[in-house]
Amino acid sequence: MTPLNHWKIFGFLTRHTLFALIIGGVAGIIFILILIEFDHFTSSEEFCTSCHSMEMAAEPYRQSVHYNSASGVRASCGDCHVSEGVFASTWDHFIGGKDLLNQIKGAIIGPDYDEPVFHVLHLPDSAFAARKWFIERNSATCKRCHNKQAILGTRVGTEKVHKEDAKSKSCVECHINLVHRKVPEQKTFKRESWNRMVEEEFNLQPGEADRLLSR
Amino acid sequence: MTLIKEQSLTEINSFTHRVIFPTVLRLLLILFCTFSHADKVKVDKSEWGLEAGKACITCHAKTSKGLATQWEESKHGQIGLNCLDCHRASEDDDDAITHEGEVIATVVSPKDCGRCHVTEYNQQKGSVHANAAAIIKNRIPALENVGGPAIVAGGCDQCHGSTVKLRGDGTLDPATWPNSGIGRINPDGSKGSCTSCHGRHRFSKAQARDPAACMRCHSGPDSPDKEVYEASKHGMHFAAERDKMNMDNDLWRAGIEYSAAPTCVTCHMGTAGKIKSTHDVGMRNAWKLNTPVSEKHYLVVFDNGDKLNLPESQDPPNRGASMTKPDGTLGKVKAVASPERRRQAMKAVCLECHGKAFANNFMTQFDNVVRLYNRKFGEPAQAIMKALYREKKLTPVAFDEPLEFTYWELWHDEGSRARHGAAMASPNHAWWEGIYEVGRNFYTKFLPQVREVAGKELGEELIGQHVSGLDEHQWLQQPNKANPILGYGSGAE
Repeated sequence: MTPLNHWKIFGFLTRHTLFALIIGGVAGIIFILILIEFDHFTSSEEFCTSCHSMEMAAEPYRQSVHYNSASGVRASCGDCHVSEGVFASTWDHFIGGKDLLNQIKGAIIGPDYDEPVFHVLHLPDSAFAARKWFIERNSATCKRCHNKQAILGTRVGTEKVHKEDAKSKSCVECHINLVHRKVPEQKTFKRESWNRMVEEEFNLQPGEADRLLSR
Repeated sequence: MTLIKEQSLTEINSFTHRVIFPTVLRLLLILFCTFSHADKVKVDKSEWGLEAGKACITCHAKTSKGLATQWEESKHGQIGLNCLDCHRASEDDDDAITHEGEVIATVVSPKDCGRCHVTEYNQQKGSVHANAAAIIKNRIPALENVGGPAIVAGGCDQCHGSTVKLRGDGTLDPATWPNSGIGRINPDGSKGSCTSCHGRHRFSKAQARDPAACMRCHSGPDSPDKEVYEASKHGMHFAAERDKMNMDNDLWRAGIEYSAAPTCVTCHMGTAGKIKSTHDVGMRNAWKLNTPVSEKHYLVVFDNGDKLNLPESQDPPNRGASMTKPDGTLGKVKAVASPERRRQAMKAVCLECHGKAFANNFMTQFDNVVRLYNRKFGEPAQAIMKALYREKKLTPVAFDEPLEFTYWELWHDEGSRARHGAAMASPNHAWWEGIYEVGRNFYTKFLPQVREVAGKELGEELIGQHVSGLDEHQWLQQPNKANPILGYGSGAE
């Protein structure tokens, strides 16, 4: 067998296919690079809060320790809410695209999520969806920064609780309502008292919240 | 059948024998059944020690060690009652939250405790303690003007009880919680707070029997029961001999398990002789002492266990009659205890340590001080205030004029202090911090301010009408009756 025979398998390589392959390859690389950049950009606080409804979600976040930590570590929107890896994160953005559609739909035919009252009325549903997302992923995005084995805490029992009692639990099974406005767990959530709270907060007539919600 | 007042009982005739004696016996029976002995818990063991609650402690022993230790060392902990037994809730409860996957409530209400402690729950639920918030609902807005919402939450409500509110976001409103006020209105609608007296999470008998359990609220200028008790001979003996009080014994009957001293519990709710213990702490009180003018009260018991204190001046209802309950709803009257019955129950406790004549005479001394306060100061001051409002000499809003503070302190602070001092035998509180201060206020502040507010003519008319004519104030008409106490006559050679 001569070395030349070895090259025979590339016999199909005509000038055209070679050209197409190179273009395709480069395009693919560019596409992936764009995806990475796209995922990166669309995970930023700046991008997320370009919708007013998200700005409202971000207000409590900016008061939280995930924004203001003593060590200067700051988690941005995507650090928690977008999976790691170019494919998973693209998929998350694709699914998340429905928020954008709703936002546009809302601006045209309502409900307008940029209205603070609608934002608060719909917030529990978003919270339940987000919690489900975290649970399904075993709190994967939390673990980008947090390692259960490394948790020492400042209180006496914190380390032991994490190593002994919470051994088989993932973060969000215990830790919710850390960053955004507090929403009860779904099991004991009461739409009735949430709506009354919204009415009190926005000075609405009793029953107004239910009416707005059914719109 | 109407309960007949004691005056009528003295008229012995056939009617009395035929009707009244059986009635009284029946009422006594009802009274003793209604307020029966603090029962042993009879709840089946299968209904507590919930499986799902057994793991709570593994975290809480680390994160809240003190609380966990209290529970571990408590009777509850030792018999295997766990966190979830008391803190369990169902999903649709107003205050239910999800905690580590379990549905729980932070606030444990008397209704929750009553799942096991049935008798105590039924006794307390219509008591004056359970209604401590309702009793002052008119006072709160006026005093809130003087103070503010923050002090209603941190002051008034901490003793009288808040209306606990769980907000839509699952958090307890800090304006209403933490709170262990004894008339707390709980999210489940029940009234009261067992932990007001039974400190959590040890729930020790000895702690609840200690006068300190009452003193968190029953102290200070308006109801200085702590100070009164400590200054009384009862308190003197308790302080000196508390090691003989057998405070943590299971049974705690005056004269049997202990005899060194009575505590608040002994007289107001404890077992003594034939008198059974009760968690209706105001049941044995004949008088109301924290009012502008004191009046004796009937205790009306409704068929669902609710209770009402009805002033003696009003006609007591018949048994079976419909009557408006303190919460505004209608109820059917099951029994009525006259003020004298209530007094008898209290006096029966005295008899464990005192002779009958001693107890009777003490009560006479007490009643006389209350009547003195009423007649000499309380009634005239109340009548004058009513007239000043009627004549528009005072604005309708409370506390925007100095006279309103003067009057408030006259009855609410000094006057109550005097009456409480007499009720529980602290001479100092009955006189120097009581009637003496009432008198000083009345003569040197109240009356001068009345003259100022009413103007000379109306002022003199009101004082003439309500004060000058009373025998108790006649000494003012004799300015020349000399006395050397303040220096008159000395060095005047």
